[in-house]
Amino acid sequence: MAPTNISHRQTHNLLLISKLLSLRDTASPLTLVLDSLEQPATPLIKEYIRRAKLSKVHVTLIAFETLNPVDGVDAFIAARRKTPLEIVKAVGGAYQNVSNGPSRTCLMQLAGRLILIDAVNPLLHAKKNDPQFHLSTFLSTFLIPSSSTAPKVDVSLVVNFHQDVPNPPPQSPYAPSPLSMLTYLATTIIKLHSFSHILAQKAARDRSLAAPVFGLEEEQDGVLLGRLDKPSGNELAEGIVLELEHRRKSGRGVLEWYFLPPASRYPAQYVKEIVTLLDDHPLYRPPQQQDADAEEEEPESTFELRLTDRQRREREGVVLPYFDAQQGDGPGEGGRILYDMGEEDDFDEEEDEI
Amino acid sequence: MPTQPPLPPLLTPYVSSLPPSSLTVLSSVLGATGNWLVLRFLHAALGQPSTSDAALGFSETNNGKKRKVVLVSFLRGWEFWRTEAKRLGLDLARLTDKRQFAFIDGLSELFSVPTATPTQTSPSHNPQLRGAVPPRTVLPLRPQPGPVPARGPQPAPRPVATAPNTPTSREIGPVKRLHLSGNGNAALDALEKDITAVINDLKKSMTTGDGQEETEVLLVIDQPDLLLAATGPGRGIGATEMGDWVMGLQQHVHATLLTVSADSPLIHNASTFAHQPTTPLETEHAAFSIGSAHRAHMVMQLRNLETGAARDVSGVLRVSKGGAWGQDDVDDHWEEKEVLYFVQRDGGVSVFGRGE
Amino acid sequence: MSFRKRNVGLSAGVDRAGTVNGTAQPPRAPATPESIPGVRPSPDDGKPTTSTGTPSLDNLLAGHGGLPLGKVLLVEENGTTDFAGALLRYYAAEGVVQDQKVHVVGMPEQWGRSLPGLLGPADSVDDKKDKRKGDRMKIAWRYERLGEFGAGIAGSRAPAGDQSQSAADGDVDKRPAFCHAFDLTKRLTHPSITNLNYIPLAPSNEPLLTSTLKRLQAVIAACPPNTVHRIVLPSLLNPAIYPPETSQPDNLLPFMHSLRALMSTSSARITAMITIPLSLFPRSAGLVRWMELLSDGVIELCPFPHSSDALGSSGAATSQEEPPQGMLKVHRLPVLHERGGGSDQNIGQDWAFTLSRRKFEIKPFSLPPAEGDKEGQEGAGAASGGMPKKAELEF
Repeated sequence: MAPTNISHRQTHNLLLISKLLSLRDTASPLTLVLDSLEQPATPLIKEYIRRAKLSKVHVTLIAFETLNPVDGVDAFIAARRKTPLEIVKAVGGAYQNVSNGPSRTCLMQLAGRLILIDAVNPLLHAKKNDPQFHLSTFLSTFLIPSSSTAPKVDVSLVVNFHQDVPNPPPQSPYAPSPLSMLTYLATTIIKLHSFSHILAQKAARDRSLAAPVFGLEEEQDGVLLGRLDKPSGNELAEGIVLELEHRRKSGRGVLEWYFLPPASRYPAQYVKEIVTLLDDHPLYRPPQQQDADAEEEEPESTFELRLTDRQRREREGVVLPYFDAQQGDGPGEGGRILYDMGEEDDFDEEEDEI
Repeated sequence: MPTQPPLPPLLTPYVSSLPPSSLTVLSSVLGATGNWLVLRFLHAALGQPSTSDAALGFSETNNGKKRKVVLVSFLRGWEFWRTEAKRLGLDLARLTDKRQFAFIDGLSELFSVPTATPTQTSPSHNPQLRGAVPPRTVLPLRPQPGPVPARGPQPAPRPVATAPNTPTSREIGPVKRLHLSGNGNAALDALEKDITAVINDLKKSMTTGDGQEETEVLLVIDQPDLLLAATGPGRGIGATEMGDWVMGLQQHVHATLLTVSADSPLIHNASTFAHQPTTPLETEHAAFSIGSAHRAHMVMQLRNLETGAARDVSGVLRVSKGGAWGQDDVDDHWEEKEVLYFVQRDGGVSVFGRGE
Repeated sequence: MSFRKRNVGLSAGVDRAGTVNGTAQPPRAPATPESIPGVRPSPDDGKPTTSTGTPSLDNLLAGHGGLPLGKVLLVEENGTTDFAGALLRYYAAEGVVQDQKVHVVGMPEQWGRSLPGLLGPADSVDDKKDKRKGDRMKIAWRYERLGEFGAGIAGSRAPAGDQSQSAADGDVDKRPAFCHAFDLTKRLTHPSITNLNYIPLAPSNEPLLTSTLKRLQAVIAACPPNTVHRIVLPSLLNPAIYPPETSQPDNLLPFMHSLRALMSTSSARITAMITIPLSLFPRSAGLVRWMELLSDGVIELCPFPHSSDALGSSGAATSQEEPPQGMLKVHRLPVLHERGGGSDQNIGQDWAFTLSRRKFEIKPFSLPPAEGDKEGQEGAGAASGGMPKKAELEF
């Protein structure tokens, strides 16, 4: 691959993630975050909030799982025991307060609105949901302004889904599962991986071993969580890996792997992009590999093991004995030994009988 | 065998200070139960740092805060916890007296309807066994779980909401019995009300004159997954409802410890990684356990040794960061770890790394 | 090994204060009258225990030498055999002989008439066995360690234990027997067999298990306080006995939970044994796992698929022993696992069981010498021949 190609991809995809995480240009109205116990979404959610604060975006957190308001969230809506309709109302109300309140002037500065759902699973599992509840309409009510008089704001919805929580049995056997529905609706899907796991899996792949599995995937009695930060023992191995799938408005899809360093590595007010491509991470792709590329031209052996073109053509022309044997007409015909006697063969009539 | 300290040093950082409004999930399996670890949590919160303090009758303080514990147990009765805590040197009956500890019994009468079967009551076979127990004046459905002879806590003068047919309550201290009736959230709300009543009661009561210090209540919910398994979707209780219920309780206390079963059939049958038909019981249980782990600050997992049983190892304890770790920017002084443990016959526990 | 220590402790164990180490002992233990037949304090912690009617099963129960009162034992069985039923019959018969109140759920009265006949206290019957055991220890060096198992904990009735007891007790013979031996081919005739209480599964307007439990509670409450109860639940969930809705978790688990509650009341003196068919309700199902979690002890029987004839003597460690008829797995033991578990030496052992006319025996299982390996088999069979030498070489 030409180096220009790589650098082009780099800058392009880095711009994309930066745009997505900072909610610029409403690049993605509905972002689906797929997390698991092995890599919870907490760091990513915090990163969203941090960036939203930097760009003065109004943040609403719909908390199905979070008990206490999180730092930096403008509106914290506890969804415990609330019906979907009540949640929608509360979310609408939270923003109404801002836009109608005394701080109306500062609204002008608000660049948009971020609505976070910390986990959508409890909603899908709830027993009291009426049959009229549809996930797609529920989510779209956040994106579409409730009334025409309401000020038009760019709303980005980030929904977190725990992949490892089993799905409830479908209400109708023909309905798609909630996860497939979400992945279908979402404009961006971010799947989270633990960096140390990615490294371990890569190490295994490099040795052509089966990639290790962690936590619930191990299917071991009593194991919920496999993550142990100790064995990696490596400060650098902290951080999370984002597997991003983004659908552009043009319909083209982008797939890229990114690395998000732990929050302790940079100050909260840091404006520059901190996310890097996973391929650029020194632990994932050690730099010395470049040296290996350069040396590839060097002869590896003093013997010439390669074939010339002519030799290859001739080798392909050779008819091996079993090709002939397979052309036998009837049963019993296929097993002959075809051998042309050469002069170097010492054939003795008396001893050898064919 | 050398006697072990009640709190093995390796465990201390994990059990002694739980961050505010945190949830800790303790998962266990059939062959590696977590009661010993729950007792360590109790000891860390209620234990005596030095004998002189105890002799002087000072209330337990930690960083200037009083610590109290409410234990809700769905699978084990008062007798078990009292006996086992005693092996650790923890006198739960006395602590109940001192209003530092409250036991809520989710075993004895959870599924029984107290008023429906008054004729089946026979209190007569109870007192003779325990010479010290005074004759009962009420007819409870079944005998009280653990009235401690001689120095049992004095009957609480509180009205008992759940047992209207008992004129003079013989409930021992805050030993409250839970009853499950009705369906769905209503049933859970009733339980929540009962538990929060006990929590608030404990918060209010002052052990010593200085009422200025803040009390930290640790709520231990022992195997609420039973509720889920025994009711199920048929009664309108699912993983979400249970999760909400736990969250509701969490709001009232400083920290919460939740024990759940993480046996393979209960977790992995419904797992998204397995492809086989599952029962609602398995789905809901897995959703509740895994969902709780997502909400937890710390997840302590107990399991059997993979290599089969050993004589000097009872099981493996793995402490991991839960899904909510790092949410509140609390300074955490613990790291994830996996250790082996051994519960001795005398109740002592030794905790050690592999190969030690 | 802690085992020997315990045996020493046993001598003091009858004198209650000896075993009781102040902190561990509930103050109520001394209140347990020694006179209750069939109940004795556990050598491990002094809790009152009662026999399951099967000596080797008693031994298996985590050093208590029996089933502690208030505990539920769940016996699971694979396949269509009824070894678990035999265990239940011994359990019920022991209860009858000890004048305990036995409650049988869901079985007709014929079940009670088919209880095995009494041979006598297990001690006397054991004598022969013990002699043989002595031989075996010489024969099979590798069982030396395991041999203690049989003579050990429950061994308070075996000769070794009896000596220490007689020292403390004065007279061995006056002690009521803890466990009896029964003969499956005979029928039990005992005056108190009429006391068996049958709880039929009669349909009512309540869920079946709820009404069953209420009857159980009523009967137990109506008994005099010192009565020791045994609850026998044969083949729970078996569709031939129980209607299909019983296996709904919201029927079954509250029942199990309430049963547990009933038994855990401090004054109740109840034990229970439940069997379930694993072929219909496999252990990999969440429902069965919850039943196990709600039980104090869980034992799984895995009978060998072939009859013992087909196996010949291949499963037997020596030619003098009967071949095992199946494997026995211990998943959970009463008291021990509730405390955190794992420290018992019986755990992790492979067990095999043999059901003969006279007893259900559980013993350590080991793979026999290879079938064709004549020399090996003979070596194992020939009393004290080459084996000790081999043992010397090994160590």
